[in-house]
Amino acid sequence: MSSLFMADICTEPTRLTDLGNLLWVLWEFLSLSLFSLGGGNTLLGEYHHLAVDQFCWLTGTQFADLYALAEAAPGPSSMLVGLLGLGAAWKEGVGWGLLSAYGAEAAILLPSTVLMVAACLRWRRLEHSPWRIAFERGMGPITLGILFAVGLKIVRTADSTSAGNLSVPGVVVSVIVCLLMLRSRISPLWFMAVAGVLGGLGIINR
Amino acid sequence: MAPVPARSSSDLAPAPGLPELFLGMLQVALSAFGGGLSAWSQRIVVEQRRWMTNEQFLTGLTVARLFPGPNQINMAVYIGAQFRGLRGALVALAGMLLVPFTFLMLLGVAYFWLHELPPVDRVLAGVVAAAAGMALSMGFKILDAYWHDPVALLLAAVVFVAMAFFHVRLIPVVLVTGPLAMVWYWPRRSTGGD
Repeated sequence: MSSLFMADICTEPTRLTDLGNLLWVLWEFLSLSLFSLGGGNTLLGEYHHLAVDQFCWLTGTQFADLYALAEAAPGPSSMLVGLLGLGAAWKEGVGWGLLSAYGAEAAILLPSTVLMVAACLRWRRLEHSPWRIAFERGMGPITLGILFAVGLKIVRTADSTSAGNLSVPGVVVSVIVCLLMLRSRISPLWFMAVAGVLGGLGIINR
Repeated sequence: MAPVPARSSSDLAPAPGLPELFLGMLQVALSAFGGGLSAWSQRIVVEQRRWMTNEQFLTGLTVARLFPGPNQINMAVYIGAQFRGLRGALVALAGMLLVPFTFLMLLGVAYFWLHELPPVDRVLAGVVAAAAGMALSMGFKILDAYWHDPVALLLAAVVFVAMAFFHVRLIPVVLVTGPLAMVWYWPRRSTGGD
């Protein structure tokens, strides 16, 4: 069973070569799949918890890097799970890393896919059911709360220095990008490109 | 020749088989390399290939947003399931993900090889700060829809505090607050339009 609270239990990386570990990891991702409300970004905090605090595959900095990579690359950003799988088995070699990547992505997508197929087949009956209406209205505010918690967690992870303090230039850039995301229609790729140049010049430290 | 979307089911092309579903979704994924996945899938599935009417497509978007899972991926599942059930869904999913996923994994391999080089790390420090800003904007983007509903704001606040300050994990939070929210928002017949 998954634990109730996000406790840091990191001692050493959880290796996937042990069958028991592999099943545990698979179970965590399979069960999260059905809780990816609001398009999947609600799971970012859980991904961070699993990869950094619980299974110790990545440092916080590496997690933030991979998140940025998944956001910048074309395609759905939920492909981040594949990158986490890659990181989890990276020490076993590239081949195992890629296998783990495809496995992780399959585990996070399979349950929601099966549910989605069932929903398509029964949609005529579901469409006007009070269950559907209550679910749709009820999950909205919960998604809202989760997204704020996730945003805060990502900013804390991304904008921290190697000593563990908040990086002030990093936070300033994050807040400016957040405002621009809300107030302009500029493609976020530009924000990442400009911030990458600022980072390369040494203006954004970490 | 400008393709015209099918107006009724009699204008539609015959139902695609598994290879066609795979290729169609592959085409969507490749066309959308610069962004706009949803618009591209509508253009290709409704206008070019005439697999479904616009109405059917929009119903799909509703279902895809409602159910758990990434919206664009759920949309591929919907399209595949319409024609070939679970197998169709998996084939459509594979077609949509294969190229972008493989591309991202190659980027990932490059990352794990190179990320310790100081110049790479410096550039990433900047990119990551911008990406964090994008994550921060997600909640604000949907906040407007709930601004006049105090119960919704209270629910969101409870969820936020539980997760951000008490570090409760996502699944218990949803399992406790979800049923409460559903009871509160259960449609009441007497109030009519709400």
